[in-house]
Amino acid sequence: MKLTYPATEAWEPLPAAEWNAEAARQLLRRAGWSALPAEVTRATTEGLAATLDRLFPVQPALFIEPRLVAHLKEDVPEMARGLAQAQPGPEKQRLQREARERSQLAIQDMSIKWLQFAAQPSNAAFAKWVLFLSDVYVVAVEKVKNAALIWNHYDLLARHGFGAAPVLAKAISRSPAMINYLDLNQSKRGAPNENFARELFELFLLGEGNYSEQDIKESARAFTGYRQQFGVFRFVPGQHDASSKTIFGQSGHFTGDDVIDLAFRQPAAGAFLPHEMVKFYLSDTPLPPGYLHELGAWWRARDYDLRTLALRFFGSRLFYAAEFRGEFIKSPVQFYLGLVQDLDLSVAPLPRSVLNPLRQMGQMLFNPPNVRGWVGGRNWINSATLGVRRQLVESLFSPIKEDNLNADEQIEFVAARANGNSNFTASDALLAPLAALDSAAAADHLLANFLALPAAPPFRDSVRKFLAADHADGPQKLRRLRRATVTLLQSPEYQLC
Amino acid sequence: MSSNAPTPLFPTTRREFLHLTGRGIGLLAFARFAPEFLVNSALAGTPGPEKDRPILVLVQLAGGNDGLNTLVPYEDANYYRLRPTLGLAKEKVLRINDTLGLHPSCTALHRLLQDGKLAVVQNVGYPNPNRSHFRSSEIWETASGSSEFLSTGWIGRFMDNACSGLPGADGHDPVGVHISNGVPQSFLSAQDHPTFGLLSGAGNRRENEENRQLLESLVSQPGAAENDNATFLKHMLMDSLVTEKKVQHVLGSYQPSASYPGNAFAASLRNIAGLIAAGLPTRVYFVSLSGFDTHSNQANQQANLLTTLAEGLAAFQKDLELHQLDGQVTTMTFSEFGRRPSENESRGTDHGTAAPLFVLGSKVKGGLHGTAPALNLAPNQDLTYSTDFRSVYATMLDRWLACPSETVLGGKFFDLPII
Repeated sequence: MKLTYPATEAWEPLPAAEWNAEAARQLLRRAGWSALPAEVTRATTEGLAATLDRLFPVQPALFIEPRLVAHLKEDVPEMARGLAQAQPGPEKQRLQREARERSQLAIQDMSIKWLQFAAQPSNAAFAKWVLFLSDVYVVAVEKVKNAALIWNHYDLLARHGFGAAPVLAKAISRSPAMINYLDLNQSKRGAPNENFARELFELFLLGEGNYSEQDIKESARAFTGYRQQFGVFRFVPGQHDASSKTIFGQSGHFTGDDVIDLAFRQPAAGAFLPHEMVKFYLSDTPLPPGYLHELGAWWRARDYDLRTLALRFFGSRLFYAAEFRGEFIKSPVQFYLGLVQDLDLSVAPLPRSVLNPLRQMGQMLFNPPNVRGWVGGRNWINSATLGVRRQLVESLFSPIKEDNLNADEQIEFVAARANGNSNFTASDALLAPLAALDSAAAADHLLANFLALPAAPPFRDSVRKFLAADHADGPQKLRRLRRATVTLLQSPEYQLC
Repeated sequence: MSSNAPTPLFPTTRREFLHLTGRGIGLLAFARFAPEFLVNSALAGTPGPEKDRPILVLVQLAGGNDGLNTLVPYEDANYYRLRPTLGLAKEKVLRINDTLGLHPSCTALHRLLQDGKLAVVQNVGYPNPNRSHFRSSEIWETASGSSEFLSTGWIGRFMDNACSGLPGADGHDPVGVHISNGVPQSFLSAQDHPTFGLLSGAGNRRENEENRQLLESLVSQPGAAENDNATFLKHMLMDSLVTEKKVQHVLGSYQPSASYPGNAFAASLRNIAGLIAAGLPTRVYFVSLSGFDTHSNQANQQANLLTTLAEGLAAFQKDLELHQLDGQVTTMTFSEFGRRPSENESRGTDHGTAAPLFVLGSKVKGGLHGTAPALNLAPNQDLTYSTDFRSVYATMLDRWLACPSETVLGGKFFDLPII
């Protein structure tokens, strides 16, 4: 990939003169899910700095604990006691099953609620930032098996997500979900488990090649004694190895927190998170190391403040450079939430129609495939997932048949409608204003709103001709607009942002 | 492909596709991806479609079909005790033997049963049943245990084991076709297999056609983005458009030999018959009929759905027979759970456990299989299954699809003598 700016200039703020509608679309799509015309106008009017301040506020709105998670949390101690007391056998199995089922329902509920939260334009950028952090500090419900712990973990990511990175890392080392996920609960003096220490260096803080096996072994000892009970962190001194360790060439009676501080003193620590940001937000093609070191050094000099890093990254010249426009494959979550925003929809409270497609496209919320998180890029796309993307678009244009819903779905559906959220599928009202335009103007409007890059003339012409066919008028014209929109949203171009 | 060959009505390879839609995009535009592309096209000419392979059609009864009112124990006083208003009168039941009969809406299926083409497997379920639609569907579709979470479906694992490198008419004829909302979980696989989704019922053929044509023109010319990812996506989409074009051509020209009822489910079955008749190498078809979640006023709703099911399946079977394709196709129904034996206060039934399922086809050993559930139950007590659903799957894999069931199901389940 040919880069417009050299490393030394890449992270400088975008000059005010280059802040325009195109740039605003890049920011809104990459930092959030879509570039709604009203949001683009607002961003260009306010300017880049003010827009960044608004998208990434010092105190972002937090995702409120969903009801089922709260209930589960309340009952966790009692459920755990019941399990501990039960004799092995059918009764114990029943209790285990019950716990799993409750967790599963809670995760489903939390997934829907999170999508509803993240779909709000004012929450989009920060929700996506937390999703990014969760793709670094990975836990998965499949192994953790407890929705309440997963919720806590995401809540930690959100609460510390705009603070200092070392503080976040220390909080995560105490996250009950992480303690289960990377086996810290098994790690004790004399028998340290290296899983967490290894991933801490390799996948959370430094990257491969920036630590030795010895560093991992010694660090694992520092994290012994980290436990969780009923979703609350507990440090058990009796299980902790307090003896001297040698890590990154330094010796001392290091604790887990000390190890994290030592890691952040490594030269690689500055560039690691920027590298992850590029992968998550910008491009499949990694930036040359010089670019990452440049930003890494800048960030390190600012005490690893995460919000400062986000503002620098999303305000940089590099972020808006032509080579990064319209070339990034949308993740399933981005594709889905982008559609929700672009079509002015509400997320339906129906796991079958919302969570199944996400899963089929390869992204189960709160359940990344392994500790590396989602690979992303072209790995999102194969014949099946592309088929699901197309079918998802069709389904968002087909009114939900209430008779076909299961009874529990009908209850949710009716409740949502009573709350004024019933626009689960695209209505003609969305496209009606375009029916007044001639086919060329309508085509331009659709292309400008939905695609990340200006369409080439033949492409534009295909859409225009389609809209103009049959000298369509009235309902026919609206129908053609709808079909053109469906097709555009299925096109390769709409899969990119 | 001979250069003298007449221009085909639809392309069967990506090369023809490019040629026909030819807007000068050319191979060069795809330079980075050309090798794979050429390999696929080169393969395309050689082996013919495998026409005579056994085909499985899965019919999902979504929502949880009430088994006790599908296969009715009309001599059991317990049945009428549990079903004071919903119980089907003895004289209305379509008798199979001295104790059991089918729901009165199942006349078409009853006839197939008498002809020996319909097997009814009784009381199918699994240990520690889950009563959530979402989870229990997942258990059935992934063929997992109740406490086990699998990321792939049983059909997906069948494809992984049996369909890799399957020589189709071209590189991307679908090995699985589904007519449902979204891709069924059953189809999720570890490897990428060409699968294809059709809209339910007849769909809107005009709109499908318009959609495909516009998409075709959008992928075959410079679009908005000209980068590697855009090219990659165009390629992937072109593959599915090739399939789609073929499928739509097949469906458009298909002449069924039997008359199908006028509903979406029957239209979906007609389309499946059309694709089978066209000799596609597809091994598994999946179609869904929903609305079985009958918590209230069950009687009419279930009767209508069973009529739709029975008449649709009967037309499908007859169509296949008249096309002499019946020997190649077996159809099987499944539902995420049966319903509670005790009816509720709303003249409906709540989520339950085991239920009978149907297996239909000319190679099927017709009649009743397995054992009926015991009904000496306390109020609101659930049925205890007698046949594990994975035994039915194992039978289909081992005896019909000729794929060792253990590799797909991760364990040995007893075959049933249903085929």
